[in-house]
Amino acid sequence: MAKSLLIISRQSPWSGPGAREALDIVLAGGAFDLPIGLLFLDDGVLQLAAGQNAKALQQKDLSANLQALPMFGVEELFYCAESAHARGLGQLSLDEAQPLATDQITALIDRYDQVITL
Amino acid sequence: MAAVSLIEFIMKFAIALFSAAHAPSSRRALLFAQAALAGGHEIVRLFFYQGAVFNASDAVVTPQDELDLPKQWRAFINDKQLDGVVCIAAALRRGVLNEEEAKRYQRDAISLSAPWELSGLGQLHDAVQDADRLVCFGGA
Amino acid sequence: MSTLHVLSHSPFGDDRLTSCLRLLGSADAVLLAGDAVYALQPDTVPFSALQARPVNLFVLVEDAQARAIEVPDWAEAIDYPAFVELSVRHAKVNSWL
Repeated sequence: MAKSLLIISRQSPWSGPGAREALDIVLAGGAFDLPIGLLFLDDGVLQLAAGQNAKALQQKDLSANLQALPMFGVEELFYCAESAHARGLGQLSLDEAQPLATDQITALIDRYDQVITL
Repeated sequence: MAAVSLIEFIMKFAIALFSAAHAPSSRRALLFAQAALAGGHEIVRLFFYQGAVFNASDAVVTPQDELDLPKQWRAFINDKQLDGVVCIAAALRRGVLNEEEAKRYQRDAISLSAPWELSGLGQLHDAVQDADRLVCFGGA
Repeated sequence: MSTLHVLSHSPFGDDRLTSCLRLLGSADAVLLAGDAVYALQPDTVPFSALQARPVNLFVLVEDAQARAIEVPDWAEAIDYPAFVELSVRHAKVNSWL
């Protein structure tokens, strides 16, 4: 049975390649049909803010890749409710991402075989 | 001190690095890797992602009186016959190219050579599947 | 299943330690490496936070020594062989990169 891998993405979308490179790990795993989960935590939840405009910074739009995740077989998508609340995020741009409370995140990390927090 | 374990577990480690050679975490990764082998464990792969691609760069020049981590990584990988894989996308983006990629993209600067291999993230996933433990080093 | 969390950033002006402690499972362990050992600087908020809660706390001895940080008796200073052993003892390692 394949080992499951949780990626915890903590970088904001426009602070460097971190957000994009975390997502690349997820997409590669999905492409290989591996059980991958993605959790947005701390500034990582800012990747899910609605109404962003990548073009204003001449950057690639990450939201297209995020929307494509279920198509890559990655359906375990989560975000930290407390991180989102602290950052004043209301409506998120990714409907498939489930909000998790702190104790649910502890349980989530426990559930996966391996984890990468970047 | 913690209790002595009576049973020796031999583990397969996948070690992934995310920061450049001058980051303290890269040195920690090397020392951890050495301790893992000294402890009788196996390293299935060393995977270099994000800024860690610079650990594999031939172009890094270190002053004589400083720790030369790229040189130490190379010696370690050669000596222990380990699999040192550098993520190709991360490397290209940061200007770390081997001969093949330099030719492909018509660049004069070749800064990566054996024992380092350029490959995709599939190799990271492969290592994660094969190993008992994944240990990541990076950030600071 | 327990997790070994590894922190390597200074706790001042960084939220990794706070987030890690918030998510910590009861059987989990925390290893302070690099600048994260500054969390053991007495009379600081991070020090109080760590002292106040029962955490299986480990410190990479070379980093404490380099920074003249004294390791309190409720934390354990370890070397690299012990770091390897810790990573074997816990089901997985979560480095907060």
